Amino acid sequence: MSGEDDRGRARSAVDRAADRMLDASVLERLAIAVASTTLALVIGLVLVAVTGYDPLLFLSNVIEGAFGDNNAVARTLRFTTMFVLTGVAVAIAFRAGVFNIGVQGQFVVGGLTTVMTILWLAPFLPQGAVGGVALIVLGTAAAAVAGGLYGALPGVLKAYGDANEIITTIMLNFIAVGVVGYLVEGPFRGEGNRAPNTERIPEYVEFPRIVFDSSGFSIVGLAIALAVVAVVTLVMARTRFGYDMITSGHQQDAATFAGVDARKTIVTTMTFSGAVAGIAGAVFAIMIQGYYSDPSGVATYGFDAIAVSLLAANNPLGVVPAGLLFGGLDSAGTHIGIYSDVPVQLIDGIIGLVVLFVAAPELFRMAAKRTGLGGESR
Amino acid sequence: MAAREDRPPAVELRGITKRFGDVVANDGVDFTLEEGTIHALLGENGSGKTTLMSVLYGLYDQDEGEIDVHGEPRYFDTPRDAMDAGIGMIHQHFQLVEPMTVLQNIVLGHEPTENGLVDEDAARADIQEISDRYDFDVAQYLDVPVRELDVGVQQRVEIVKSLYRGAEILILDEPTAVLTPQESQRLFDVMEELRASGHSLIFITHKLEEALTTADRIAVLRDGKAVGTVDPTETTEQELARLMVGREVLFETETRETTPGAPILDVQGLHVRSDRDLLQVRDVDFTVREGEILGIAGVQGNGQTELVEAITGLRDVESGSISFEGKNITDTSRRDRIESGIAYIPEDRQTEGLVQDYTLVRNALLGNQTIAPFVNRGVIDWGAVREHAESIVESYDVQPPDPASNAQSLSGGNQQKFIVGREIEHEPTVMVASHPTRGVDIGAIEFIHDRLFELRDAGLAIVFVSSKLDEIQRLSDRIAVMYEGEFVATVDPETVTEEELGLLMAGSEIDDTDDTEDAEVNR
Repeated sequence: MSGEDDRGRARSAVDRAADRMLDASVLERLAIAVASTTLALVIGLVLVAVTGYDPLLFLSNVIEGAFGDNNAVARTLRFTTMFVLTGVAVAIAFRAGVFNIGVQGQFVVGGLTTVMTILWLAPFLPQGAVGGVALIVLGTAAAAVAGGLYGALPGVLKAYGDANEIITTIMLNFIAVGVVGYLVEGPFRGEGNRAPNTERIPEYVEFPRIVFDSSGFSIVGLAIALAVVAVVTLVMARTRFGYDMITSGHQQDAATFAGVDARKTIVTTMTFSGAVAGIAGAVFAIMIQGYYSDPSGVATYGFDAIAVSLLAANNPLGVVPAGLLFGGLDSAGTHIGIYSDVPVQLIDGIIGLVVLFVAAPELFRMAAKRTGLGGESR
Repeated sequence: MAAREDRPPAVELRGITKRFGDVVANDGVDFTLEEGTIHALLGENGSGKTTLMSVLYGLYDQDEGEIDVHGEPRYFDTPRDAMDAGIGMIHQHFQLVEPMTVLQNIVLGHEPTENGLVDEDAARADIQEISDRYDFDVAQYLDVPVRELDVGVQQRVEIVKSLYRGAEILILDEPTAVLTPQESQRLFDVMEELRASGHSLIFITHKLEEALTTADRIAVLRDGKAVGTVDPTETTEQELARLMVGREVLFETETRETTPGAPILDVQGLHVRSDRDLLQVRDVDFTVREGEILGIAGVQGNGQTELVEAITGLRDVESGSISFEGKNITDTSRRDRIESGIAYIPEDRQTEGLVQDYTLVRNALLGNQTIAPFVNRGVIDWGAVREHAESIVESYDVQPPDPASNAQSLSGGNQQKFIVGREIEHEPTVMVASHPTRGVDIGAIEFIHDRLFELRDAGLAIVFVSSKLDEIQRLSDRIAVMYEGEFVATVDPETVTEEELGLLMAGSEIDDTDDTEDAEVNR
């Protein structure tokens, strides 16, 4: 009772705002996102000016860094590819009400699996394009299986042991990074490598660079990411499996009523999510790195992916524009880090500001949906 | 019309309008509560009764209209403001903290303090005084945790809580929904007691008889509008029903001309545990035949939920067996049971029967995920599902007749009609219906009853759970009374009286055993 009393005037204002957000159309939401980005950048520029740097130069660096030339576009799309893939992995689980924070771990396990599969199988297959395609397919499939299994593990722990998946997936991230770090340091280290890296995968195992000739990006990688988005969207929208998963995420009791086995659904959801994270790892290994190294500290796409997915309201299609925004910002950040003397912390802070501004209205909208703000009749 | 007293009315609402988006929940409603009277607020579900009272209680802001309390214009932003003006509300779902004692619950937020510490003795004395004045039994439970009390006592705790906070005007929101007939009578006595001591009461209900017997005046709401205020001595149930529904309602009794056929559902020695791991169903046996309705009567929480969930495959069985068409299905999954023809109208339509965020089209697939033509080899045919949703909406008169509308935008009665339609269209052999008309308006009740009769005549075996006695007597071929997990009696609905049923539900034995059969009736 007292909770209700205290909310008072603020509550009714929040109610009205929530009401408005719940009624917002897709176009309105996009407009809100654009306005939020602009507003955050303006505040960021003020910060830049206050700390004694030239805000206009900074702004032109942002634009140049995100899509100023071929190189910048390729870099933006490279990051976008990774954010889309890992973002979809997160979105699958969140949509089903399972909080897979372990995409990073599944991504790392998938990446190493790809590299090792390709290295082991290469001697048995013909060199050249045919062998290259075969190795890419086998390596990616192996990554999906490995990522899927690594995702299934916390799924089983949650379904049959009642272990909170947020905690177990975070712990499994550490385990993945530690074990993979040990493997590339010792058993899997390439012969004669000074750094703790695996051997390089053969030259012919790579995505063809059709446009944007740039190391670390191929349009094929982006195409794979978009294909995964399409498949996941279809599975969610058109199959019983997807329906059961989403229904469990919305209302577990209704799913159970409809004959959905809650435990099985948790495990399959985590497996599906982990498999997509594994594919992300494969694309990273083949397109960007070409070998595998100690995964601690580099390429933390699996964590940023959580923000990407939330920004997309956990909708696999929405992950594409959200991934593009993140890709552009990261690309701009990289550029500014190299070509200007603005400290990297400030750049990260401004990126954070943009994310916060863009995500806040969406998070508010989701919270309103869940808590029944904006009127009880909904 | 009763003569106006000299004093200003306790509450006067003028032209209250409250909108939720495009939905007008209250449309220019006038309502006057005279000092020292009981005023019933009658209406179907979704007619705007609770919304109107929530405006008065400060839970919602009205879009238009004014509120006077004791002749003073007031504006309530929060329930706290309303309480300060002497208004108390007893919600349908009690606002009590279950693990805390009665004393703690009553003083919560209004603790008398001495040197910063809660003065328990002062609180005790105050509550004792209130209890004595109105002849409540609450004082003797002061140190008992609320969850250990019966619903009736919990309700009286709620009333004492409001009185303790100085309420002179009490709003009771469907207070009898959870009570047995005996407990309801007791509540009415309490209400009269309060009126006699000068309190003014608003009594929200959709039960005609209650309004007629307890209230001094009855205001009827329909579709958010006040359609009339009547004097109970000058009206009839028929007239009230017509005001409420907006058309003539027929309370005809169905003639039972059924000849039950072969046994379909057979339950033997069933024991089931609750979520709290208590043995909630104990040694229940029964058989339901083709073309027969077995009614299960009981006060809520006596094991009906667990029994129904065990039959429908939602809950594991501790021991005993369930057979369906001769096959033992005790350990089969929920999905298998749906596919084999056991349909279920769930107790809780909000959380189980419908996904609130889904459209009716998406909800039409709920439970049908493995059934052709809706799903073939795991791929959904949304076209077929949409057609199905359209046909349910049309045949079962779901309003608004738009399958693209979200489940949560429908009123309770329409949600229920949709669920009933979907479950019947499974073409089941057994129908398990749990409180199928709870919170549903009169028009929809009539409709749902007729559908259940049709199913019975079509040869289904029906298990039907309800705590409404008139309904259970009207529908059932046999009534099993459940008390503390057991079938304490199986009676003939033709000969048993409401009083006898009420006593059985409260755990008393009936001396006259002519009406009762043994619990293990297999006929």
